[in-house]
Amino acid sequence: MLQEAVVTEPSGRPGTRARAETEASPSTPRFRIFIVDTGWDSPGHKVLQENFGLIRELQREDPIYVLGREKSIEYLRHHEERIGHDPIIAVHDLAAMDDTGTADFHGFRLRLGLLRTHQQALLALQNFARFLRLHRQSTDLEGEIRRGLRREGLAGAIEIVLGHEAREIGG
Amino acid sequence: MPERWSDYLTIFMSALAVGYMVYEIDRRQRKLREIFDVLDAEDAAVTARLEDMVASGELQPYTGATLV
Repeated sequence: MLQEAVVTEPSGRPGTRARAETEASPSTPRFRIFIVDTGWDSPGHKVLQENFGLIRELQREDPIYVLGREKSIEYLRHHEERIGHDPIIAVHDLAAMDDTGTADFHGFRLRLGLLRTHQQALLALQNFARFLRLHRQSTDLEGEIRRGLRREGLAGAIEIVLGHEAREIGG
Repeated sequence: MPERWSDYLTIFMSALAVGYMVYEIDRRQRKLREIFDVLDAEDAAVTARLEDMVASGELQPYTGATLV
């Protein structure tokens, strides 16, 4: 049952349970996932609500922290430039934080609130979930993300120039 | 040096096309980064705050099956 799904809880300082690829077992938490959602009536909010259980099941090795409405509002009151970007899913990479703390690359984030349609938000969430699963053993997560962003930007531009339909994400 | 106006026009149009491609790639990448990007030094304070909330027990792993 979903309600009985176990979420492992990393203890101690950030990243202390993260391990390099060679040491980590597949069930060792690699990420901490945070969800900030003030509850805007937006496609991103609805898609997250509808699919949260699935995300939980797919990412059961990694703890998910939901800030809740009040904490999310408080968060955005301090980061007003991000109002309307939520739901935001921030993923802290424990392996990176173990190496360099937060001074350099230490995770990634998705701003679902910027997507205008239900289909775009769903596709983004699916891509995000796939990315998390595919890369949870990665030793060069930052490089893979940056290469992916470059590739997507190039692919999108080529599609536009060739007169194809705009890609779903960022279109 | 090009000898005909049509050559100049071809060069001009080619430069425009290349410029548009560069602009479009840059625009797409910026738009993608607004939606999905890495957390780095710029996000350090926010990350630290969230990690503090976990360390202090203010935030607990969410065990519900649905968001409420």
